[in-house]
Amino acid sequence: MSEKTKFVNDMVAIATWHGVQPPNEVALRMLGDLEKLIRDFEALRGTMRFEDEPASFEVALVEAASIGVRA
Amino acid sequence: MMAARLDVADLSLVEAADAVRKGEVSAISLLEACLANLDSHEEAVNATIWVDKEAAFTAARAADAKRAAGGPLGPLHGLPLAHKDMYYQAGRLSSCGSAIRRDFVPDYSATVIERLSAAGAYAFAGLNMAEFAQNGTGHNRHHGDCRNPWNLSYITGGSSSGSGAAVASRFTFAALGSDTGGSIRLPAAANGVSGIKPTQTRVSRYGVMPLSFSADNVGPLARTARDCARIMSVIAGYDPRDPTSAEMPVPDYEAGLTGDLRGIRIGMPSTYFLDELDAPVRAAIEAAASVLTGRGATIVPMTLPLMDAVATYAAVVSRVEGAAIHAEWMRQRPQDFATHINARMFPGYAIPATYYVEALSRRGPILKAFAKEVFSQVDLLVTPTIRTCLPTLAATDIDSGPPGTEQAALGISTNTRPFNYLGLPSMSIPCGFDLNGLPIGLQISGRPFAEAAVLQAGDAYQRDTDWHARRPAIAAV
Repeated sequence: MSEKTKFVNDMVAIATWHGVQPPNEVALRMLGDLEKLIRDFEALRGTMRFEDEPASFEVALVEAASIGVRA
Repeated sequence: MMAARLDVADLSLVEAADAVRKGEVSAISLLEACLANLDSHEEAVNATIWVDKEAAFTAARAADAKRAAGGPLGPLHGLPLAHKDMYYQAGRLSSCGSAIRRDFVPDYSATVIERLSAAGAYAFAGLNMAEFAQNGTGHNRHHGDCRNPWNLSYITGGSSSGSGAAVASRFTFAALGSDTGGSIRLPAAANGVSGIKPTQTRVSRYGVMPLSFSADNVGPLARTARDCARIMSVIAGYDPRDPTSAEMPVPDYEAGLTGDLRGIRIGMPSTYFLDELDAPVRAAIEAAASVLTGRGATIVPMTLPLMDAVATYAAVVSRVEGAAIHAEWMRQRPQDFATHINARMFPGYAIPATYYVEALSRRGPILKAFAKEVFSQVDLLVTPTIRTCLPTLAATDIDSGPPGTEQAALGISTNTRPFNYLGLPSMSIPCGFDLNGLPIGLQISGRPFAEAAVLQAGDAYQRDTDWHARRPAIAAV
């Protein structure tokens, strides 16, 4: 997919799903900055292995609070 | 350059509170000192959105009368405070730094406001802030940019810009800020004051304007770590009106400030947080590590795990949640946001829901993996709060700057944002000045719910340094 096609698809998706129009040129520039975020996100694929069990961040906070604590 | 004069507004919050309790200073005199500084310098600094002097004098007189009558007094009795203008107080303006909520007056109060009031403090002003808490620089198109009291051309940091500037300028003894990606720690660092972002869920968010449900935190900015400890003891703890708040016991944070760091292991990351570091910042951080060592701590060089994942997932979560919260206004009245605000939110609508869910679902496992590797070796982490020397307002003004300005502005929070995703307590304290005379911040972070350890290290450092006691000589405009 060309950059131009991808850009048009993004605009259509945002307008369709959210009803939001690009408010200014800066917003379009910052939309373009997502390219790096997407690359970074995709680069993480397969790099982490976690157990497939229900996870709660609040519970993780409590559990992590005691890690390494010495008497 | 430091100002030569002295006034009671130079007292730390703890010193002021203790002086009121002992009858050495009246609540009225504290208020008058703060208002005198405000009247002298507010035009230059622009730290407030509203000030209610009449209510303040009524509250101060009532505090003095209560003390004269005898009976128990709260730990913050008679203290005039001012807060980021997003803490709801029934019947008072809460603009959230915006044009959209310029006239918003809530009919209920935030839990933290009620707890501070119960401890004897009163609020007399709403402080300037980034619009809807959405930038790290302190720019505000609707209420005017907040200016750094150390040099008015420079940023205050944000989003709690007025909180940092008002504490440094001696307009108030302390201020609540909020922190979603660094918004307490950045202005603390930029203004040369102390500020702590507590563990996620440690402090109630009821009655506080939301930005990111997953990463918003409430915390204080004040002159010293000890000041922050006193406020944390008042505001922390479970709140039935905020079901996300943790049912964990709240220690007496101030009682733990012994100055003794013997046996404390402090990790100093060799990567990520020190990448592209400006030389004066590096020198200040290394000097700070020596001070902590002098108090008995052991510095442990280390590489932190999972930082790429933390930084990437944090960016996804914050962008999506900020965009979602403001979606209705982005549809109906996008022109009422400043350019740098609506432009920042817009990309959030293009991020797939699957990315967001993945970023959130990995948060707990990543925290546990990070904690197992890091906190099995050390008790605390120290890093720079901001990697670079402070930039000017002009250099980070997205609305009027050339393409690329947004990277300069958004890069401010590179070292703070990871601790929001991880949910860890993290504090910034002043540790020096750069070549332009602007403050440098030291970031101290710890295990979940280890605010006591973080505050202890900050207080120990401040026993041997005086960066936190310095006062800016504010230029006239």
